[in-house]
Parts: sequence; C-alpha cells; structure tokens
Amino acid sequence: MNLTRLRSWLKWMVKGQQLESEMETELRFHIESRAADLVRKGLSQQDAIRQARIEFGGIESYKDAMRASVGVRWWGELGSDLHHGWRLLCKNPAFTAVAVLTLALGVGANTAIFSIVNAVLLRSLPFAHPDRLVKIVASNRGVGARDIGFSVPELDDLRSRAGVFDQVTATISGDVSLTGGEHPQRLEMLVVSPNYFSMLGTSAHIGRVFGPGDEEQGFADAVVISDSLWASEFGRDPGILGRRVQLDNDPNTIVGVLPPGFRHPGSTIATDVEIWATAGLKGDPFPEYNRSLRWVPGAIGLLKPGISREQAQSRLNAFAAQLRAEFANDYPAKSDWSIEAEPLQDSLVGNVRPMLLVLMGAVVLIILLASVNVANLLLARASGRQREMAVRLALGASRARMIRQLLTESLILSLVSGMVGVLTALVALHFVQFLPTRIPRLAEVQVDWTVLGFALLVSLLAGLGFGLVPALQSSKADIAVAIREGARGSGTSGKTNRLRGLLIASESALAVVLMVGAGLLLRTFWGLLQENPGFNPSRIVAASLWLPVPDNPEMDRYAKPEILNTFVREAVRRVRAIPGVDLASMTTDLPVTHLSRRVPINIEERPDESRKGLFSEATGVTPEYFKVLQASLVRGRLFAEDDQPGKQLVVMVDESTARTFWPDRDPIGRRLSIGIGRAVTNLLWCSVVGVIKDIKNDGLDQSGSPHVYLPIYQIPRVRVLSVAVRTSLSATSLEPQIRREIQAIDPNLPVFNVRTMNEVIDGSLASRRFSAELVGGFAVVALLLASVGIYGLLAYMVSQRSHEIGVRMALGAMPSTIGKIIVSRGVGLTGIGVVIGLPLSGIMAPMISALLYGVRPLDPGVFLTVPLILLVVALLASYIPARRAARVNPIVALRES
Amino acid sequence: MSLLDTQGEIVGKAIDLLQGTLDMLILKAVSLGPLHGYGVLLRIQQISGEQLEIQQGSLYPALYRLEHQGWITSEWGESDNKRKAKFYRLTAAGRRQLHAETEKWNRMASLIASMLRTTPEEI
Repeated sequence: MNLTRLRSWLKWMVKGQQLESEMETELRFHIESRAADLVRKGLSQQDAIRQARIEFGGIESYKDAMRASVGVRWWGELGSDLHHGWRLLCKNPAFTAVAVLTLALGVGANTAIFSIVNAVLLRSLPFAHPDRLVKIVASNRGVGARDIGFSVPELDDLRSRAGVFDQVTATISGDVSLTGGEHPQRLEMLVVSPNYFSMLGTSAHIGRVFGPGDEEQGFADAVVISDSLWASEFGRDPGILGRRVQLDNDPNTIVGVLPPGFRHPGSTIATDVEIWATAGLKGDPFPEYNRSLRWVPGAIGLLKPGISREQAQSRLNAFAAQLRAEFANDYPAKSDWSIEAEPLQDSLVGNVRPMLLVLMGAVVLIILLASVNVANLLLARASGRQREMAVRLALGASRARMIRQLLTESLILSLVSGMVGVLTALVALHFVQFLPTRIPRLAEVQVDWTVLGFALLVSLLAGLGFGLVPALQSSKADIAVAIREGARGSGTSGKTNRLRGLLIASESALAVVLMVGAGLLLRTFWGLLQENPGFNPSRIVAASLWLPVPDNPEMDRYAKPEILNTFVREAVRRVRAIPGVDLASMTTDLPVTHLSRRVPINIEERPDESRKGLFSEATGVTPEYFKVLQASLVRGRLFAEDDQPGKQLVVMVDESTARTFWPDRDPIGRRLSIGIGRAVTNLLWCSVVGVIKDIKNDGLDQSGSPHVYLPIYQIPRVRVLSVAVRTSLSATSLEPQIRREIQAIDPNLPVFNVRTMNEVIDGSLASRRFSAELVGGFAVVALLLASVGIYGLLAYMVSQRSHEIGVRMALGAMPSTIGKIIVSRGVGLTGIGVVIGLPLSGIMAPMISALLYGVRPLDPGVFLTVPLILLVVALLASYIPARRAARVNPIVALRES
Repeated sequence: MSLLDTQGEIVGKAIDLLQGTLDMLILKAVSLGPLHGYGVLLRIQQISGEQLEIQQGSLYPALYRLEHQGWITSEWGESDNKRKAKFYRLTAAGRRQLHAETEKWNRMASLIASMLRTTPEEI
C-alpha cells in the first residue's frame, strides 16, 4: 500500500461516517440529475425517478463495491456485523442473559484464580535479584531429617568456604514483647544478619535499613519496623526515627520503616514479620560458638552471579563432604549431613503450588463447561435461524462471510461476558484478604495487565470455541433441506441434534472430572475432621504468652529455673482459680500447631541408631496438661509436681515413638538424652516414665515424627508458653480474665491468641477447607451447568418435535412411552458422558494426590457416588421436558403445524 | 436512450465495454475538465456518439478506485442547477497514467488490427 492509498484508507477509517453520507449524497445527485433529464424528455416525475433508479442498478451493491474500492469493505462489514450481532443480543434478552452469565461465571472464576496464581507462583519475588536468592537447607539425609538448621560456625563456613554465595544471612523468627504502650504487645520478630536488606535490595521507606555499622557480637541496638506496625502502633508518626522502644525489656532504637509492600520471604510464626533486629549471633544472649549447636533455624543466600543452580549444588556437595571429613565428631558418618540451595520462590510457595494448580485446573474445566453450554445454546438458536441462513446462502452470500458474521456475534457475546467476568473477579478478589488460609504473597494479588490480558485471552478463546462449532454447522446448511425443513417448521436437522447430543455428553464428562476432584478433596477434609486427634478438643481454651529474653542475661528475670518454675506454678494456680475453669495447664506448644521444637536425641541402648543423628519433636508440659487434653495414658505414670530440676530427669513418649525406639521392649525405665540448649554437648539422660496415646501434635494430616514430652520444670529457658484450660466458658469471656491473672504476676507479659482448641484445629485445616470448598463449589456449578444443558436440549427437542409427538400419540402411543423416550435420551447422553468422564478422572486424580490424605486417588466411594449423583440430576433435568412431552395434545400439535 | 430495456440489459447496436477500459475512459473524460459523476457518464456517451453504453452505477466504484489510486481527486462544488455535487479532476499522476494507458491501447489496437488483416499469403 503506497502513501496515497494509505492516506485514502485512513481517511475512511477515521471519517467513515461522514464519507458514508457523502457517498449517499453523490449517488442521490446522480439519480436525481438523470431523472431531471428524463422529465425533460417527457416522462412524468414519478416515472422518471423510477426509470433513473432502474438504469442505475443496485444501489447497495454499488455502494459495497465503492467501499471495496478503497479497501474498507471488510471494516464496514465488521461494523455492520457488530451492529447486527448487538441488535440480535438485545432482541433476545433471556438468551443473552443466560449466555453472558454462564460465560461471565467461567471468565470470572478463571480471572480470580489466575490473579492469585500470577501473584503467588508466576511473578518473581519483588527483590533485586530474585533468581539468585536461595533458601539454604541443611539436612541429615541419613535419618530423613530435612531442614535441621545451622550452627553459627556452619554459617561462617557457608560465607567463607562454600564459594557459591555472595552473601548469606541467618533468619531466626520469634516472638518479642513490645512494652510501653497500653498493653504489652506480642510482636513477630525476625533476627537477621546485618546484610539481610542489602541482599534483598530493599531500602527503607523512611530512615535506614541495617548496614555494616550494625555489626555486633550480640544484638545491635537498631531495629527496623514494618509499615503496618508503624501504622498500628505509632500512627505513622514521621518522628518515629530514633524512638527508643522496649523489646523484651531491652531498649532498642527504631532506625527505619520498611516500604508498605515488603514481606519477609520465608516462613513466619503466625502473621507477617513486624519488627527486624540484627545480631552477630556470637555474644550474649546467644549460645556458645559450637559447631554442633544447630540453633539457627534458617538461612538465605545470594548466589554469586553467573553460577547455575547445578554448579552451585555440586560445589555445595563438595563443601559438605569437606566439612564432614574435617569435623568427623560433629557430623556422624551415618547422618549424611548435606546442604542444598533451593530457589527462594520455590521454598516460599512450594507448599501451596499443588493447591493453586488444582484450583486453576478446576476453573479451566469450568470455562470449558460454560463454553460447551453456550455453544449448545447458540446451536439451538442457530437451528431457529436455519432458514435465514439458507435464504442468504441461496442469495449468494459466501460461506466465509457468514461464518465471519456468526463468529462476530459470538465474540461480542464473549467480550461482554469477559467484562462482566472481570468485574465479578474484582469483587471476588476483594474477599481474598479475608481468607483464613496462610497463602504466602496473598497480599500481592491484584488485577494487573497480565491478569486482564489473561481474561481477554480466555474470553476470546471461549468465544472462538463456542462460536466456531455452531458457525460451521449452520453455514453448512443444505439450502434445499433447510428451506424444506424450515417450511415444515421443524427447523432442525438430525445432524444438529447429534452435535448437540455430543456437546451434552462432553459436558457430563467434564462435570464428572470436576466432581471426582471435589469429591476426593472433600473426603480428605471430612476425613480429617473425623480424625481422632488423640485428645478431646471440645471445651478447651488456650492462650499464648511470651516470656521476654533480654540481651543482657542479668536483666533476664526468667533465666533462673526456680523463678521460671515459680512463675509457671503461680500462673497455673491463678488461671485455675478463675470461676468456670475446671483444670489448667501450661505447655510449650499446642496440639496440631506444629510449633514444637525439633531436638536431637540419643537412645541409650541403641548407640548405632543414635549415631545417625536422631531427631524428635519435644514438648514441655505441666503435670495437668494431659488431663486437660483428656489424652489417655497407656503405660507408666504422668508427670508430677515433684519432677523438678535437680531430681531425676524424666520424659514421656507417645505410643508410636515407643514402638519406633524400643520395638520389642517395655519403654518404661529406658533412657533418652535430649539435646536442648547447652545440653547438646554434655548428654543429660532422662528416664521414660510414661507412654501416652498418640496426639496429633504436628497437624491432623501429619504423622510419623517421634514425640517426646518433658516436664516444663526440667527444661531451661522456656520462652513461648501456652495456657490450656478445660472450661465451660467461651474464649472471649475468658480472655480478659486470663490476661488479668497473668499480668498480675508480671505486668509486662503479652497474652495473645486466646482461642478454643476447636478454633486451633479449624485454623490448621483452613487451607484444606478452602481448596475443598472452592473446588466443591466449582463442582456444584459444573453439575448445574450440565443439568441446564440437558434440560435445554430436551425442552428444545420436545418443542421442535411436538408435531411428531402429536402424530405418535394420535397413532396410539402412550404418554408414558413418550416421556420415557425423552428421559432415556437425557439419561443416555449423561451415561455416555459418565463413561468418558470416569476414565478421564482416573487419569487426572493421581495428579492431585499431593492434596489428599487418607483417601486414595481412585477412591471407589467417590468414583461410584459421582456418576450416581450426575445420573439422578440428569433424570430430574429430563423430567420436566418429558412431562411436557407426555402432555402434548395431539389435536393441538397437529393443527399447529 | 432506448438502448436499455427495463431490465437494464444492453440491447441493439450498443458496444459492450471491454474489461478494464472503463477506467481509461473515465480518465479521458475528466482530463477535458472537472466533472461530477453524472457528467462523466454524459461526456463518455457524448464523445462516443451515443455508441457506448455503460452501467451507470458501475461508474462510481471505478471513480472511487481511481481516486484511491491517486489518479483523480475530488472536491465538492456546485452543479449547473445549483446543487451540491462532487467534482472529479485529473491529477498529475492521472495524466501520466492516461498517457501510458493510451500508448498501451494504441499499440494493442494496431497489433490486433494488423493480426486481423493478415491474409493466408502473408504467413
């Protein structure tokens, strides 16, 4: 296209409306001039105009040719198709509403879930070098213990000897109490190395982050706070910098506030990190510099530029081997100590990936179903328009032209639905923040251009998908047949009905797949609700508290075991005295929360086993704890008030642990050594005094870890404590009373997270509940769509074939026979769908096995129930049209046609 | 003017227009001075001595095509009977094009004429 032509074309594009009217004027001028000449030749005015028009020829087709001359016919046709399509949609509001709602549901669900997937899984972490950041994981592979943490010497070696990291930071998450405000507050704190923020490439919103100036042996004075803490606790006071705050009774200085979007890219305890402190981890209050004291729970590394993950891993393997050889005493050969570098993003979102992918799969099935349903609707409407199509074909419209027109119509439909869908998604996403699940990066969820692009793509694909089949089908119309059939008023060919039947069958198949998925997830979830947690969770209220750990050991009022134990006894006594409390106890961690400490242990009689580096979850409890839980004692005795420091150290184990450690012996009286704190280096032997029935300590869906219980009085340096009471009162009414009793002993102790044990359990299942209920909801939608499809097809069939039905009845067919024919068609098509859908589900089900617990992917219950439900629904959906068919009045039906 | 019957079909001794010659005739017609569409029709009929009949409507797609090519240009003006009409005028490019087309046509015409004159002896 040369410049002249481009200019002329553009002129048409831009001023099309004006040029159209000029075209009109020009042609009218021609015809009127011609007519005037004819009048001069003696024709009457009327005859002259008529004659002039005839001589001119088909005005519309010439106009069309004129548009084609300047290359804008296609554009004009699109315009008229859009106009035509829009008018059709407006003319048929019921059809349009059903189609738009169906599709909007599909697009909306896809957009909402995709925006979560995009934010959580696809977008890289919002840091300077997201692809070089790794979580460093140490494992004792020999005993299957993963992520065992680091000792400070190991961290030093990772920095100086491993040769793969530019920088390494320790990450220690913990609680801290902030005092000085109205209430003592429990905050989530993260202790990091001074290079933490520079590694991530994050700078402060106001003030500064940590730098080389903050390097100390112990804690530095500087702390950095999150934007949300700045808002909630300090009212966004710009003069916050330099403010002194009491953290665990230590004075610290706030030097910076982080930007609003910043989140610690790692696991947290309960919420997001609110305050960051930095420390060298080598002086007080930290443990001694010892290679075997792996008390630093986590580390993040920044890989050197240009090092691939494989290279990094092979160097880390060599590094681990070198350390094992060099410090044979600290790395028992059988423990097979090793280091891995896991991409930070993977480690952060790895555990939610299966769930999100399953949700994404579910919404893809939903949009497929919605498309098939709308295709069905369009087919039904297209058969009504068969005559229009046939007439146009007969008049010489090209097939391509007609397909284009029909596709334009479906694209309008899909784009309108897309817009409604995106609006739906926006509303739905508004509720994301209220989700109880702890999905990382959820706060980053937003509808951005990627998401909108995805929504557009989905809408267009759906539009093409559901538009193409009916378009091809009706443009193929055999003119002769269509006009003949049309004349008879049936308007639908056998072929179209077969196609619609196929669509219904595939809808059923898709619904089966979704329902099987939902069934498996729901069975998992319900199974977990039924799971015996090993205790009686009803009528238990728990509250957490935090004993501050000041940097200076001399300031630590709970450093001495006697004082700590006095506090514990006094707290239990006071809480027990609250009216309505039957029993009170304290524990270091509550069941199903997975907050217990993982400690290295040795079994006295099995040094071989022990040398592999055994680990166990350890929980400290007061004597009443098991009575509060109503857990059953299997052998031996419970702890007593007399199990004190200085007395014989005692321990209880659960049944599975007893079986694992002493497979063929009575565990009572056997001895274990437990590495807590400084005890790692000089073994302290504890005797087993009791065996308790298994308690699901790590979550209802977790089992297999060994568990040991210790008397709280014999554990040094307990900091996180939970009060657990058996009571008939509610958590809300108990909260102020518990707080008052605890703070009567020490007004600086924060009391937080007061909730019932059932709430604790619900919280631990929240993520499963979320995915199960969401997929369950999608399955219900699928079932609904499928039944609407079946109903639509049959109702249409009955109305189209009322003539035939009338004839049959006139010839003596029983109404019940007619009804049966209709029902058997609906149920039959569903049956075909089930036959296709079940094997399909069989292939898909193992893909979600990561989300299943206690249910096999090919669970027969689910695979039998789903087809049953679907067939019953199909039966119901067929019933109404069948009844209508049975009530056809032959006389009326025959007269009508 | 009775060359067209009511069906608009050409009857009598009118000469059918050869494919592709309409453009050339239009260019020739407007080369003699600016014309509106109806004027183009009249002028072609006039110079052909009423021998040539063209489908009136088919003029317009051709006019648009020629303008799109940049060989003619148009502007709105007033007709003899004081009405708003669109006048077409030849452009420089159109003049070159007309020249080239005329050359080509003449060559072709003489070639075909000489071929038709050919007698058996000349082969």
